[in-house]
Amino acid sequence: MRDVAVIGLGMHPWGKFADKSVQQLCRVAVDAALKDAGVAWREIQAVAAASSRFSGGRGWGLNGNDVIDDMGMTGIPVYNLSAGCAAGGNAFNVGTMLVASGQHDMVLVVGGEKMPKGFIQTSGVEETTDPEYLRQICIGVPGPTFWAFMCRRRMADHGTTEEQLAKIAVKARKNAVHNPYARFRKETSVEEVMGSALVSYPLRLFEICPVSDGAAAVVICSAAEARKRTTTPLWVAASSVATARFDDGIPRGLAGAVPADRRAYHSEAAGAVRGAMQRAGIGPDGIDVVELQDNTVYYELSFPEEWGFCEPGEAEHLLESGQTLPTGRLPINPSGGFISFGEATTAQGLFQICELGWQLRGDAGARQVPDAKVGLAQTLGLGGNGTATILKR
Amino acid sequence: MAGRIPVAEGLFAETADGARLIGSRCATCGTPYFPKVDYCRHPECGASKLEDAGFGPDGTIWSCAIQDYPPPAPARFDKPYKPYAMAVVDLADGLRVLGQIKADDIRAIRPDTKVRLVVDTLCHDEAGNEVVTWKFQPVAAEESA
Repeated sequence: MRDVAVIGLGMHPWGKFADKSVQQLCRVAVDAALKDAGVAWREIQAVAAASSRFSGGRGWGLNGNDVIDDMGMTGIPVYNLSAGCAAGGNAFNVGTMLVASGQHDMVLVVGGEKMPKGFIQTSGVEETTDPEYLRQICIGVPGPTFWAFMCRRRMADHGTTEEQLAKIAVKARKNAVHNPYARFRKETSVEEVMGSALVSYPLRLFEICPVSDGAAAVVICSAAEARKRTTTPLWVAASSVATARFDDGIPRGLAGAVPADRRAYHSEAAGAVRGAMQRAGIGPDGIDVVELQDNTVYYELSFPEEWGFCEPGEAEHLLESGQTLPTGRLPINPSGGFISFGEATTAQGLFQICELGWQLRGDAGARQVPDAKVGLAQTLGLGGNGTATILKR
Repeated sequence: MAGRIPVAEGLFAETADGARLIGSRCATCGTPYFPKVDYCRHPECGASKLEDAGFGPDGTIWSCAIQDYPPPAPARFDKPYKPYAMAVVDLADGLRVLGQIKADDIRAIRPDTKVRLVVDTLCHDEAGNEVVTWKFQPVAAEESA
């Protein structure tokens, strides 16, 4: 397999853009990534795109075809990847494979989405053979409630307080102040977070990510192409995809088996992250900055533990002692994370790659992790999809 | 005439010694399933051999949450909306299952509380029927009632 370089990063800011189409958002991101790479559109040999259920793609998730139409139809192959909120990470993985395998030398990876208002609705399948439909009509368990279950169990296990949950949101916004691409860029306080509406106790409005519109794009290429274009390429140390394990104890559907130790862990995310670390030959100590999928503040506590970055129950201490700030021992989400961006679901995995890229180049301004050399990005999507990427400079 | 109808057919039953969830269990590897499945899904199971099984009524709350805002469709509830509690319950017979909580003080519900499976009102339909579903009731609250 060949080495894969990242040479172009581009984003449209996250927010709500009623007067712009998803094509317009993608255009801004793709143009920026091509310009950053010093690559013309006609030089792109393949596109790997995240498929959206919510916007563009002609109802079939053909979002990569939309980008090709808009940029100019050159006859190149397109791969539209569907993996819920992990689709951006999944597209990046497939893009790297296209380069690593020798199939293509210059590939664009893109994700863009405009989200409908309000909490994400279920699939719309109304059949009692559909477990998700049954779960909603028999009980009524919207997405944030799943996060609340996980968080409440942690509070019972480790004594996590509501104030600590609020502090994670405060930290996220503190980072986002310095990120021109984030949607929520005003500092907040523990009092303000605790005063925001309860969504699903113990989680409050400011502690979960809302839906947003946004787009991000990345240009990747072979080592030979990278050397022609830049003296400072970034390298894909590993890109990994996993699905959930049968016995992880996570209450995804109506019911499952009680795991032997009664514990639960997000096996799709852990599988991808541990797989990436193994492939890269880099352990938690070798990673300088992490962009993880914080749909809710809870994940900033649970994920580092599930991946072996700290001991179970230690994450609250890392938070309280400032170790997860850009200047700390384990910087988490210097971008401001999903809490500050909101979720344009299928573009998320690529905004993370862009942020890691800027961090590793030293271009992250006031949110810069000092001397960051290696970064990890992780996504988790509906259906038990997980992805992880490790970049190095 | 208005009556009492289950929210979905074939998912639960009321028996002389309490409510049961209707599912299946693999005779080869022991994995429990709710609702019923056609084939055992345990990746290490050598031979799928599913038998009908009832689950409950005794269990322990693994975790719980409160639905503080009205859930989107197709969730069903009576108006005006009143927040309800939900739990992930580990049943003594090995099933980890979700359900609403039946309790007067939903904010007092904690993980690791002992509960019992019951059949209780979910909402009322347009014809005035009482629509019922399975729920979990804290054991201590039930005994002191």
